[in-house]
This record gives sequence, structure tokens and C-alpha cells, in this order.
Amino acid sequence: MRTHAIALPRDTTRQSRGLLIGNVSRLLHRVSGVVIILFVLAHTLVQAVRHFPPLMFLNAAWLGPLQQQPWLHGVLYFSLVFHTLYGLRLLVGDLGVRIDYRLSLWGIVGLSLLPLLREWGRYAGF
Amino acid sequence: MNDEMTVEAEIRRYSPGEDAGPRYERYVVTGAGNMRVLDVIRRIYATSAGDLAFQFACRIGRCGTCAVKVNGVPVLACQERCVPRMRIEPLTPFPVIRDLVIDRTEIEERYARLALTPAPPAAGAAQPLPMDPGLAERIGHLDSCLACMICVSACPAVAERPFDGPAFMLKLGYMHKHPANDQDRVDSAMESGLLECFGCDACTQLCPADLSPAQEIRELRRDAVLGARSRS
Repeated sequence: MRTHAIALPRDTTRQSRGLLIGNVSRLLHRVSGVVIILFVLAHTLVQAVRHFPPLMFLNAAWLGPLQQQPWLHGVLYFSLVFHTLYGLRLLVGDLGVRIDYRLSLWGIVGLSLLPLLREWGRYAGF
Repeated sequence: MNDEMTVEAEIRRYSPGEDAGPRYERYVVTGAGNMRVLDVIRRIYATSAGDLAFQFACRIGRCGTCAVKVNGVPVLACQERCVPRMRIEPLTPFPVIRDLVIDRTEIEERYARLALTPAPPAAGAAQPLPMDPGLAERIGHLDSCLACMICVSACPAVAERPFDGPAFMLKLGYMHKHPANDQDRVDSAMESGLLECFGCDACTQLCPADLSPAQEIRELRRDAVLGARSRS
């Protein structure tokens, strides 16, 4: 059982090896946020090009195929789910709930991979 | 288990005022397979670079004096096991006095500014302060912070934002819980950048005293939002 008693220093002998979980979670949160922002911007632009008459001349042929890219959908779904869940995790933590940082990160990554894999599987015909 | 190993260490050498800029000097050290980074530094000092500046005291991970960055990760040199290739640097973002020795003046000034001493008992009150045993245990644990600044060096928010760092937040959290505290520590924490923390727990992962500054930050934030009564 873990106690809060004054403890001897833990075995820190391999701290510089392996992943620094905080960096992984911070970068994933940041990158997923950027992906979402880019998607919103691109989506707004595409809708404008498709439906706003003065911009319709820009309606390039590549817009349609671009929207059918499975990897793009997968990355977007992963980003949406990860950013939402990790943001909620931060919020809940700030309200006093103790959450293990390793478990929460890998749990959220796992959950976020589900829609990504589902999307890729759908395109692959599974 | 104790086989010999050969370590290739690159040490950042810099003496402000004397050198034009920092440089990395390469040393090869052979020693026991379980040697620590501090053993390598001391061997280099003894055999190859007598002018190398570094500091250590206890050699058992209790003083926090020997903290350095190894391959970009802040660690206690006396505790960290060697890897075959190591780049050893002083802790960032602190000013360097020389080589691996950082200037702790600003750190000490910040600690002093935060007034991290419990208020003295009222005159004539010689009785010990009554304290819940659970709280005493928790406070005792928080008091085992080494002030080694590993957490501050690892903190991405310190590098990007006006944030004093996890070590100071931990001390403020400690005082916030202390029954003899007579100041608004949440307010002090807010002034020190409480809201700038990313909540990434890098400080928790690297703390050599097995503390969680990130948890203290979360508890201070919770009290900032919900008030101190929300404490369990």
C-alpha cells in the first residue's frame, strides 16, 4: 500500500531512458488541436468554394477526391476524440479528481485509435 | 551485473566571461557496469579535466545538488545509471556559473519571496501544533522536496510561459495545507503562474523524491475554482 510518509529517493537510475509521458501527451494534445483547427478552416473554405457563387470558379477537381481520403478521415477522427478526451481529463484533474497520468494517456490514445481504425477498416472493406 | 562498461560522455563546457560560447568536450570513461553519471563526471575531473566545474554533496540522492541534464533529460547525476553515449549539460533554464554549475541565486530569491515558513506560534504558546496524523504524513511527504530543480528544468510550461515552475507550486501547495499557514497561498500561486501549467506530469515522472508537483498544482487550481472547502 502506498503511503505519503517521507520516503527514500526512488530508484531513479533509468529516468533519462524511454518516453517522457508528459512530452508525448502535450505534443499529441497540441498537434491534435492544430489538426482540428486546420480541418475547420479547410472545411469552411471548401463549403465557401462549393456554395458561394462568387467563389465557385475555384471549385477545383481535387476537392472531391481530397475529401474521400481515408487517412485524412482517420487522422481527423483520432484528433477529435483525443483532443476532447484529453481536454476533459485535464478539466477533471483541475477539479480535484486524481488520475494516473500514464494510464490516462494510454487509455485515451487507445480510445482515440478506435474510430481511426474503424474508419480505415471501412475503407479497406472490413 | 557489475561488468565493465565504456561510456562516451560529451560535457558542455562554458565559462561566461572567459569563453566565447559553449562547447562540448568528449571523454571516454571505463568503469563498473552500474556506475552512475556522477561517477563518470568525477572520473573525468580526476583524470582528464581538472578544471571541470560540477557540484555534488550527498551522493545518495538526498541533496539535489548534482542535478544535470543527461541526453536532454534532467536527472540526479548520483542516481542516474550511465548509458554508452551521454551528453551531459547543466540544468536549463538557469544561468550557468561555469560548466555544469548553475546559479541558484534567483531560485533562492523566489523561495524567499514566497515566504515558505509556517507562521510562528503566538507568544507563550509552547504547545505543539495539533495536526491530523494523515495531514502530518502528507505534509511530511511534501516537505521531502529536494529543491533540485529537475521538475523546473523538465517543465515545458516554464520554457514557454510566465510560470515559476512545479517546485515552487509544490512548496506553495505544502504551505496551503499547513495548519500554521497564515497567507493566501492560492493567490501567491496565481501570481506565480498557476494557470500556465499544461498538466502534462513531466515533473511527476522525473521527481527524484517521488513527489507529484502536478497533483499539487491541480489541488491549488481546484481550490482556486471551488474554494479551500473543497479539500478532502
